[in-house]
Amino acid sequence: MDKEDLTFVDQAVENIGAGQEKVLEILQAIQGHYGYLPEEALERTCELTEITPASIVGVSTFYSQFRHRPAGRYMIRVCIGTACHVKGGQQVYDSFQRYLSIPEGDDTDTEKMFTVEKVACLGCCMLAPAIQIDDITYGHLSSEQVPAVLRDFLEQERARAQQMEEPYYAKADRELGEIRICLDSSCVASGSARVYEALKKAVKQTSARAVVKSVGCLGMSFLAPIVEVVLAGGASFRYARVRPDDARAIVLRHFKPKKIGPKIKNAISTILDKILTDKAWEPVTRYSVDVRDRSVADFMDRQRHIATEHCGHIDPVSLDEYIRYDGFKALEKCVNELSGEKVITEIEHSGLRGRGGAGYPTYLKWSAVHNSDSEKKYVICNGDEGDPGAFMDRMLMESYPYRIIEGMAIAAYTVGAEEGNFYIRAEYPLAIERVSKAINDCRERGFLGDNILDRGFSLHLKIVAGAGAFVCGEETALLASIEGRRGMPRLRPPYPVVSGLWGKPTLINNVETYAVVPWIIRNGPEAFAALGTSGSKGTKVFALAGKVARGGLIEVPMGISIGRIIEDIGGGIAKGLRFKAVQVGGPSGGCVPAQLRATPVDFETLTDVGAMMGSGGMVALDESDCMVDIARYFLEFTQNQSCGKCTFCRIGTRRMLDILERLCAGEGRKTDIEELEHLAWMIKNTSICGLGKTAPNPVLSTIKYFRDEYEAHLEGRCPAGKCKALITYSVTDDCIGCTLCAQHCPADAIRMQPYETHEIDADKCIRCGTCKGICPVEAIKVE
Amino acid sequence: MPKLVIDNREVEVENGSTVLDAAEKLGIEIPTMCFLKGYKASTSCMACVVKVEGVDGLVPACGTIAEDGMSVQSDSEQVRDARKAALELLLSDHVGDCVGPCQAICPAGMNIPLMIRQIAAGKLREAIATVKRDIALPAVLGRICPKPCERGCRRGALDGAVSICLLKRYVADIDLQSAKPYLPSCKPAQNKRVVIVGAGPAGLAAAYYLRQQGYECTLLDEHEEPGGMLRYGVPEEELERDVLDKEIASIEKLGAKFQGRTRIDTEVSMEKLRRDYDAVFVAVGEIKAGVPESIGLEAGPNGIAIDGKTYQTNLPGVFAGGDAVRKRRSTVRAVADGKEAAVSIGQYLSGEEVTGPDKEFNTRIGKLEDGEIEGFMAYADRAARVTPSQKGDGFTDEQARAEAVRCLHCDCRKAQGCKLRQYAQDYGAKPGRYKGRRRLFVQQVQHPDIIYESGKCIDCGLCIQIAAKAGEKLGLTFIGRGFDVRMAVPFERSMAEGLENAAGQCVAACPTGALAFKENSETTSQK
Repeated sequence: MDKEDLTFVDQAVENIGAGQEKVLEILQAIQGHYGYLPEEALERTCELTEITPASIVGVSTFYSQFRHRPAGRYMIRVCIGTACHVKGGQQVYDSFQRYLSIPEGDDTDTEKMFTVEKVACLGCCMLAPAIQIDDITYGHLSSEQVPAVLRDFLEQERARAQQMEEPYYAKADRELGEIRICLDSSCVASGSARVYEALKKAVKQTSARAVVKSVGCLGMSFLAPIVEVVLAGGASFRYARVRPDDARAIVLRHFKPKKIGPKIKNAISTILDKILTDKAWEPVTRYSVDVRDRSVADFMDRQRHIATEHCGHIDPVSLDEYIRYDGFKALEKCVNELSGEKVITEIEHSGLRGRGGAGYPTYLKWSAVHNSDSEKKYVICNGDEGDPGAFMDRMLMESYPYRIIEGMAIAAYTVGAEEGNFYIRAEYPLAIERVSKAINDCRERGFLGDNILDRGFSLHLKIVAGAGAFVCGEETALLASIEGRRGMPRLRPPYPVVSGLWGKPTLINNVETYAVVPWIIRNGPEAFAALGTSGSKGTKVFALAGKVARGGLIEVPMGISIGRIIEDIGGGIAKGLRFKAVQVGGPSGGCVPAQLRATPVDFETLTDVGAMMGSGGMVALDESDCMVDIARYFLEFTQNQSCGKCTFCRIGTRRMLDILERLCAGEGRKTDIEELEHLAWMIKNTSICGLGKTAPNPVLSTIKYFRDEYEAHLEGRCPAGKCKALITYSVTDDCIGCTLCAQHCPADAIRMQPYETHEIDADKCIRCGTCKGICPVEAIKVE
Repeated sequence: MPKLVIDNREVEVENGSTVLDAAEKLGIEIPTMCFLKGYKASTSCMACVVKVEGVDGLVPACGTIAEDGMSVQSDSEQVRDARKAALELLLSDHVGDCVGPCQAICPAGMNIPLMIRQIAAGKLREAIATVKRDIALPAVLGRICPKPCERGCRRGALDGAVSICLLKRYVADIDLQSAKPYLPSCKPAQNKRVVIVGAGPAGLAAAYYLRQQGYECTLLDEHEEPGGMLRYGVPEEELERDVLDKEIASIEKLGAKFQGRTRIDTEVSMEKLRRDYDAVFVAVGEIKAGVPESIGLEAGPNGIAIDGKTYQTNLPGVFAGGDAVRKRRSTVRAVADGKEAAVSIGQYLSGEEVTGPDKEFNTRIGKLEDGEIEGFMAYADRAARVTPSQKGDGFTDEQARAEAVRCLHCDCRKAQGCKLRQYAQDYGAKPGRYKGRRRLFVQQVQHPDIIYESGKCIDCGLCIQIAAKAGEKLGLTFIGRGFDVRMAVPFERSMAEGLENAAGQCVAACPTGALAFKENSETTSQK
């Protein structure tokens, strides 16, 4: 290998700093520059900083973001989050490997063009299965689309190379009409950035009296990208699944062009109507929406927006607009009218419990830190949303950064902290970008920094970018990570409220917890407590994904039933399949079966049925999902994400996974189910952190409700037809001999026989499902 | 100062003390592997879990701060089960053989690797002691043993097993030719008399070990001279009679008496033997149907019926072994029977419960993965197997030395100091309880003094803490996370660079054989 030029390292250390706590930031910079972590660069870092070789190697091998060998020119990250898993993410991954002819055991093609990696979750579950190539996201993929995706990416790359543009945030102006579009990560993944560009271009070309504005997400990911046109008078129109080609027509329809004749305008309007209404012309890809539309009304009506207040109107990165919508009123009220004790009482009366998963009463944490007489205290916002199948925190941070900052500022004022950290996972670059812009804005306007609102209270916030470790969502691991160490949880007590960051009392709350605080202060704790159930007050934000017809970000009052969420808001299961279960709470949670659809969503009830609120991921499963496979999927995740400290979690979860893999391969042993339960309870009873304590939940809950499926696997059957080793693909007599399957089979397991019934060679078949996906007459049988 | 209760006993400790400290103060022993005084509790191994009343689940005693009013149980069934499970999980990913596969397969359980290292070190006097601890007739077996040990030898998979049997013969021959052949010391006379019926390999071996325990031994045999089938069955070309004579002579020299032409039932009855002696060991060789019953013993399908562990027959004080109790005849098995029966007889005579020899806890790697054998070769000489110049000959000094250094040292260097093995034995842990995917066996030998076998590491992190505290420049670190987390030197450097000063401290703290001294007095001495 050529020696790398190390001057970058010197510069990076110069800019970032030389303390132990800078290690993640330095590593991220090095990787950003070299594409991986060259050993010489790490050694150089040790020479320049107080970071030791043992520390830099330990840290850089702990976090999955870091690579120690060179990568290809472009990075393909295949999401294997829960929603992607149940929709065939693994097949997509296999397909990339095959198509790029990546040698076994490697992750980069021989030309060093593409590196293919699996990532725990990209947080755009409604687009499942989704992948990212560099910063472009592709959704709803199937294995046969892989070549097309690569072609498209390379074309875009060429186009991008020709035209580079600075990101643009529109300024609001009441005189003008607004064309609103959400530019958060998942909407961008649905193509909203390209529509945004096209809209801006169309506005400019037609000199329309409108601004194109990016807004907080409506959460209706199932219709993304959504464009909302709001005329100066207030009338609004919504368009769903808009494509860049439609932009000009939309602009022309609502904003009178100066240079265009009525005739042409008329023609355009007709075309537009045709596009949006003509069912014969790609009817499913886009259509006009309107709040009166049933699906939208159902999606929206049952929701209650507190953390997501003003969704769809408010510009995520405009502090002016946030202020116009009562932003920082709550902070003003606190610093001017309320003592710390009084704020704690307000929070207590609201009944707010931590939204991060465990549901610990928020006021207790606040008062513990408040009551500590330490000189130095910290507040931390936990935005390390690592659960596969969850994207609430990402959307909140991308859409409402000021609100979260206001919540943190109120907390800091209350507990007496003057420094704080925003810990955001590195997989969320847009969240990091927006939160950091928001912090800067707030500092400039006196909502952060010294002497806030002239009341002598100070708060300095910093962002710490995580680096790909689910366990860092655990508060003690998160602290270790901020301090620049491996993200290893430690035994509690002492709790962080007593001994947290750098040994000082530290308040750690989740993104959503902070996000609801301003609302509670402004509207009073009673208004919040009026929502929800006796033990779980207010609302909860969920990421609804999986097999539902309408997925997206939702905020609902606590106590709403699972059935309501799946059937009313989510529109039931797509493709007419039967609703089987909903996975709540990701790797810490469990599966609530369809027969318990009446289960109200609150902390205690979910735990009682064997699931867990977790941070709020909800993945709907249908009859084609195998519950043993789901359990295996989660154990594979936790096993890989375990910090590796405690024996039971490190080896015990591996042994559980061994058994589940055996079951899915049809090699189960009679005692396997009991053995799983035995290990599960051992791990739950002995683990020192939340990851270990809850890791067995997905297994226990599936055994509890779907024991028959486990037993079927013992007999070598997979009733859902999912476990590759237990199923065979065959062609039925319905085959029309179109040869599509033969053309697309990546394993050459189907011989081309035009106009005849095809056959699948079971020995060659790799059970990738390509044929089933492509067959126009559903003539592929899986059993 | 917090006051707490552990196992219903009250104790008061300093502020900030842990439950482990409190237990220690009470003299309650709680097993620990990842904990070392003076270092941060890493709460990793979970061998020290205890139950604290009012707290869900179990907590590690080493890291749990003792609080006033706490009530702790350190030895409940739940606690013991969890500790056992922790040990079993650690064992499921612990890649090492406590004893070499050769020793494990040897019916007599001889410490073969130790003998070989003693040969390599030129300590032949110590080598013969090692051999004779388990095999009473090594020169004889060095000629006629079917050598199961060599089938177990891991090097067999590569370029031919180590010539264990010839090495043993070499040690025994050198000893017999010496001016003063090795004689073990005997305990003072216990004033108890044992009669051994049959002076074949089993009987001779029993006499050899019973004498060492201080019991009087009389060997009866129907033939004129002792040796049984060794003298009257094995051809002279295979076993020179002077070799046999010399080895028997050494047993007689220990004080065993021989009485020929005495056949049980015809010359002397079982009743009389039981009257005249304190214990009887029946080792009459292959036995015909009906014979056991004729002397009052119950018969099984393979001869005299015995308890497989203790060699006891149906008659109190009467033991049986060797070919008289087995269908498959083997001299080494017979010699092993004699040794083991001597343990039971000793227990019987001293009034203890008769349980037979203790079974040691051992882990085994079992079958190796493809290419894994290379991991064992790091420390062995790569020369080909040595064969004596002529068939039937033994090794010369040079040949023995050359063959000895081929040994892979599969046995653990810390077999006696390993906490994992000790606790596994204490808690009755079963090493095969949670079989599954495991790591590979690897040896890192670059350090001048110590060897690192990462497969044996339980990720306790003590060495990492020690290296950091000792101010090592490179030191040690954890690499990766989850099941694959491993201790290593940063930047894939060698242990020699990682541990410039603290190696000895790390070896001493390592709770398993992962870090060990390469060779020292321990690895070439009998415990």
